[in-house]
Amino acid sequence: MVKIKYWIIALLAVAMGIGAAVYLFPRDVRKVKKQFNLLSEWVSKDLGENTFTLAHKTRSLSTLFTEKFEIKTEIESMSGSYSPEEISSYAARGRLMFSYLSLSFHDLDISFPEKGIAKVVLTARLKGRSTAGENFDETHELECILRKIGKKWLFSHVEIVEVLKK
Amino acid sequence: MDYYETLNKRIRQFFFPSLTPQFLIRALLVALFAYLFFGHICIPLRIKGYSMEPTYHNGSVNFLWKPHYLFSGPKRHDVVAVRFAGNRVMLLKRVIALEGETVEFRNGRLFVDGGEVKEPYVRYPCNWNLPPRQVEKNCVYVVGDNRNMPIEDHHFGQASMKRIMGIPLW
Repeated sequence: MVKIKYWIIALLAVAMGIGAAVYLFPRDVRKVKKQFNLLSEWVSKDLGENTFTLAHKTRSLSTLFTEKFEIKTEIESMSGSYSPEEISSYAARGRLMFSYLSLSFHDLDISFPEKGIAKVVLTARLKGRSTAGENFDETHELECILRKIGKKWLFSHVEIVEVLKK
Repeated sequence: MDYYETLNKRIRQFFFPSLTPQFLIRALLVALFAYLFFGHICIPLRIKGYSMEPTYHNGSVNFLWKPHYLFSGPKRHDVVAVRFAGNRVMLLKRVIALEGETVEFRNGRLFVDGGEVKEPYVRYPCNWNLPPRQVEKNCVYVVGDNRNMPIEDHHFGQASMKRIMGIPLW
């Protein structure tokens, strides 16, 4: 009898834990985070990555963006609108210049200002080595807007936040 | 013999304590304190990069002391941590000018409000030139100690006070 009581308490504790997890991390938040994980995975490049993986990653990358994806940076030549195909093509060309590339996202602050729109402020870190052997390590704060199209959250706008203003 | 048995028992009890309610409460409190202290008050950090050489070296370990600016603002020459979106990645820089002041570099020498400011922490040669600019309200101007690189390659500038997280502990 005592054992049954303990089992019930344990089950209640587990149920409360699951409930808290669902409450604290709603489905949309998890879906938005997943998009960032995919972006990080598909932009990153391992040493000696084969052509098949390269093709898979660059093709998959285009599925993360809306038809008109906008970038806003201090660098005028980079700012503007891009189609998913253009992003794929730039990514493929860009990856050839690097032997190793790692994109990671930290401190994601996700909010939903309107229905179907997610605003994410985060720190993005891009590390890598060029084919010429030059190392680089760039960190920026980004403000991203994702739109829910169908059941998927797609990147629609990215702006680089100026942390230090010269 | 009794003495050794007691000692043995104590050692065993120290490394493999009985899971009594008191022990669990103590363990929970220690974990909670560690989380609050090392997660929000005194955050461990590893320095990566060379922008604060020779004051702080690449790969060294330190702690970020957050309560330092609870009752006062940063002063000139303070080394501060400037955050990006959160606590995970921060920049370590030195405050060289405060709000309302005009900052300028002439041949590597720092001028604040037209007067030269000595910087004993800058050890490497520097030939930076930066036209004068005024630091905006609620902002400070921060630069790294390592100026032995072209000015375009160095990450420095005006940071909002909201981004100043604290100081390194040593």
